Amino acid sequence: MNLTEILRILSQAEGVSGWESPAGEKALELLRDYCPDAKIDPSGNIIGHMGNTLENAPHILLDAHLDQVGLIVTAITDEGFVRADHVGGIDMRLMPAQNLLLHGKKTIPGVAASVPPHLIGGEQKVLDVTELLIDTGYSKAELEEILSPGDRISFDTPFQILQGDRIAARSMDDRCGMAAILYALELLKNKTLPCKVSVLFSAQEEVGECGAETAGYTINPDMAIAVDVTFAMGHGDDPVKCGKLGGGPMIGISPTLSREISDSLISAAEGQNIPWQPEVMSGTTGTNADRFSVSRGGVRSCTLSIPLRYMHTPSEVISLGDVENTGRLLAAWLKEGHYAE
Amino acid sequence: MLNEHLKKLCLLCGASGHEKAVRDYILEQIKPYADCVKIDPLGSVIAEKKGAKPSPKKLMVSAHMDEVGLIVTYVNEDGTMQIAPVGGIEASVVIGRPVIVGDVGISGVIGAKPIHLLSGEQRKKLPKFAELYLDIGAENKAEAMKIAPPGTFAHFLPAFAELGGGKVRSKALDDRIGCAIMLTLMAQELPYDVTFAFLVQEEVGLRGAQVAAYTVNPDMAIVLEATTAADLTGAEGDAKVCALGEGPVVSFMDRSTIYDRELYHLAFAECERMGIPCQTKTRIAGGNDSGAIHKSRGGVRTLAISAPCRYLHSPSCVADLQDIENCMKLTYAMIEKAVQI
Repeated sequence: MNLTEILRILSQAEGVSGWESPAGEKALELLRDYCPDAKIDPSGNIIGHMGNTLENAPHILLDAHLDQVGLIVTAITDEGFVRADHVGGIDMRLMPAQNLLLHGKKTIPGVAASVPPHLIGGEQKVLDVTELLIDTGYSKAELEEILSPGDRISFDTPFQILQGDRIAARSMDDRCGMAAILYALELLKNKTLPCKVSVLFSAQEEVGECGAETAGYTINPDMAIAVDVTFAMGHGDDPVKCGKLGGGPMIGISPTLSREISDSLISAAEGQNIPWQPEVMSGTTGTNADRFSVSRGGVRSCTLSIPLRYMHTPSEVISLGDVENTGRLLAAWLKEGHYAE
Repeated sequence: MLNEHLKKLCLLCGASGHEKAVRDYILEQIKPYADCVKIDPLGSVIAEKKGAKPSPKKLMVSAHMDEVGLIVTYVNEDGTMQIAPVGGIEASVVIGRPVIVGDVGISGVIGAKPIHLLSGEQRKKLPKFAELYLDIGAENKAEAMKIAPPGTFAHFLPAFAELGGGKVRSKALDDRIGCAIMLTLMAQELPYDVTFAFLVQEEVGLRGAQVAAYTVNPDMAIVLEATTAADLTGAEGDAKVCALGEGPVVSFMDRSTIYDRELYHLAFAECERMGIPCQTKTRIAGGNDSGAIHKSRGGVRTLAISAPCRYLHSPSCVADLQDIENCMKLTYAMIEKAVQI
């Protein structure tokens, strides 16, 4: 399995929240190698099953979210510029002259307008998203043939290999979590498991964990692990709030998570000499685990997070080793069967 | 041919003082057409081309090879780097962008603290250059020093795209547009002898132009440029400065030069004769190599012909190919008519 290639394929597939189908198709193709029954549910979630089919085997949900942050077309101005609003948390400080892809009847390139230094008089301010103008080169009449309100807009940035094992690309949040799960499934291929596994690539995490809410109900697991990303230390960042890039997966510890699962993940990591880091939170986690834990009558849940720099920017940086180690840890934990003792 | 040169030139990297890749391409292209080629001590290319007749006045046509970029000023302990702008760049068009670093083209990104970790106040404040840093994925200072020590140049990632309505989106349109026009003109039969100057260091103070104008010692000069267009929704009348699709921009005055009045009127008359649109800049803003050339030695009668260009000095400038073609037609006409004044 070529993990870099999987990350490249997943990163370049489109899946702004609520319109995950292009990324979903790719994910489905990759997941069916391990879960032949995988399919898309009415919310746009991808769900597949594997592992032990005995009735009393514990049922574990592994989740990573399928969607990415982006923008949505709200209007086309008379001069042929596109107005948009954000889908998920977008940093407006970095929108000027940002390369974008607009997905209408066809995909067209565009750029968010900027004011060049030659024309700036006095203090510049960060534009409100409602002031954003996107330039596609087309006139209003031409654009109306291609785009309509509700179409999604994504970042147009390439997949870059950095030094060491680091990668910079858009949508690593949370395509690298999906890749880690696929890697775990690869490691478990042809192995007998003491549990039943449902794999979920969930829609609409960035707009309030909607996919996790419906899929959590449908899957009805005994335990759930949300594999997502978390903040890796950038230059000058607060070490209290951030993990170390390349330091291994971060195991969530929080009042809203199952401490038993956290502890069993830690002992699985220690047992296999897999590097790991604690991610201590004091309440909800901002991940799909917040939905799983209160699904139906309650599900013991935990987070497993991949450290990532520059979250929600067009150039999110991860370490390939962290993705591998996340997959290794998931595989070791599932195989050992000491889930919540 | 014009469009092909433009695309190839835009994909090359040449921040001020680092124009070699652009110069090498130009030298290769002009070899069959130039009668004499010199490279001056600062790196500008001065190429003589014989026309049908010797010119009654010595005419220099110029464009600058350099683009705005970044330079590494310091390597941090954690392997990231501090950077400074080369030429006028707003930090908002740099933050979160992919870049390529050094002569071999190492991939890097400009780090942006994730929006989740910014206070409400921080989200509304544009970043300053001193707060930006470059991340190439290096583990530590020692590794980074081997790859990108202080003084290493970084460039916006080349990504040339065709937009709608015959427009293009790229870095460095300022002033590869002028270079592409000159390369195309040099491959044609010209009515008079012309000296073509491909200049360095425009973006850091018109320095290449200053010395090349001294060396060439022309009677008259035509500067080919890209100039700032602000023709966006919300900009009315003169606030647009100039507009895409409305033809070559001929300025009467900018922040560097008051242009030769007779040449200014002649340019409009020639456009009218040829039936191509022509416009002037409705704000006194920006400047170009004319600022140095018109004051060279005892003075040079100077005109600038510019293609209107949106989002100047960003990774994603937008220009109209028809405007560029019309700039070339006007330049050809001026080569014939201007020297007869």
